[in-house]
Amino acid sequence: MLQATTVVTTERFEKGLSYADFLAQATVNRDKFEKYYEDSALTTEDLSFFKKAAAVPDGPSKILALAEAWCGDVYRELPTVVRIAEATGVDLRIFLRDENPDIMDEFLSNDGKARAIPVFVFYTSETRYITHFTERSAGAHAELAAIMDQVRTDLNLPPGVTFATVAEARKQEFLRAVIARILPRFPEWRKQSIREMRTLLSAALKLPNKG
Amino acid sequence: MNQATKGVPIVYTIRGCDACVKLLRKWEAEGIAFEERRVELSQAVLDEARKYGDMVPIVVWPDGRVEQGFEGNLGCFI
Repeated sequence: MLQATTVVTTERFEKGLSYADFLAQATVNRDKFEKYYEDSALTTEDLSFFKKAAAVPDGPSKILALAEAWCGDVYRELPTVVRIAEATGVDLRIFLRDENPDIMDEFLSNDGKARAIPVFVFYTSETRYITHFTERSAGAHAELAAIMDQVRTDLNLPPGVTFATVAEARKQEFLRAVIARILPRFPEWRKQSIREMRTLLSAALKLPNKG
Repeated sequence: MNQATKGVPIVYTIRGCDACVKLLRKWEAEGIAFEERRVELSQAVLDEARKYGDMVPIVVWPDGRVEQGFEGNLGCFI
């Protein structure tokens, strides 16, 4: 757990939305959630691992998801966790980030500055924290940095220049080039998220990372 | 009323997006007239925004120029 005390009690957890309720309240992107749910990135071996993890004493019995339907990272990753919950019998409860700032505050990223979502928090049956995953994998973050480097080279921009520091006249060109290279990577990023969740659970539970 | 008749930029936003909120605060502080279209409230508005870009805030200027992000902030994928 990131804090000595937590607002995520068993009672609070049970107030979270089911996936069906989450979709019902969503005003946008229902088609995206359905698409990514149908097009599962999980392998049989992945599901076997998550089932083993859920069967471990003090393994995950609950997953708390912080999410918002408008967020691209959420509709890309949440359906994977829905599939994991369905396959393992783990209780998934979804909390809207902007209505639950106290929960979000426990899982800030970027040195406490970013309210990045999705966040998937794994808990025991007694709602004791096991581990959590935020937004996208470390591999995806590294790839994003590499993409930025490549774009800087392709556009003859100074090394190290960022969206914040690039000349105003080149800013939109820089951003469009980065986005164009990121979007095709989303299928692989989904797989990397699964690998990272497996790694996190394997380490926390001292469970071999195999299906 | 569309942008051509109003002559003000249209900005597509999500109120939960930090970059969007920063843009709105700055423009409001500077007295810049604009039309905000919140993509998180309507699939139709979200689909409209996607014609212009993949990341909010998206600004469509009266002359047709389109900008994504705000200052040093990339914004949020939609």
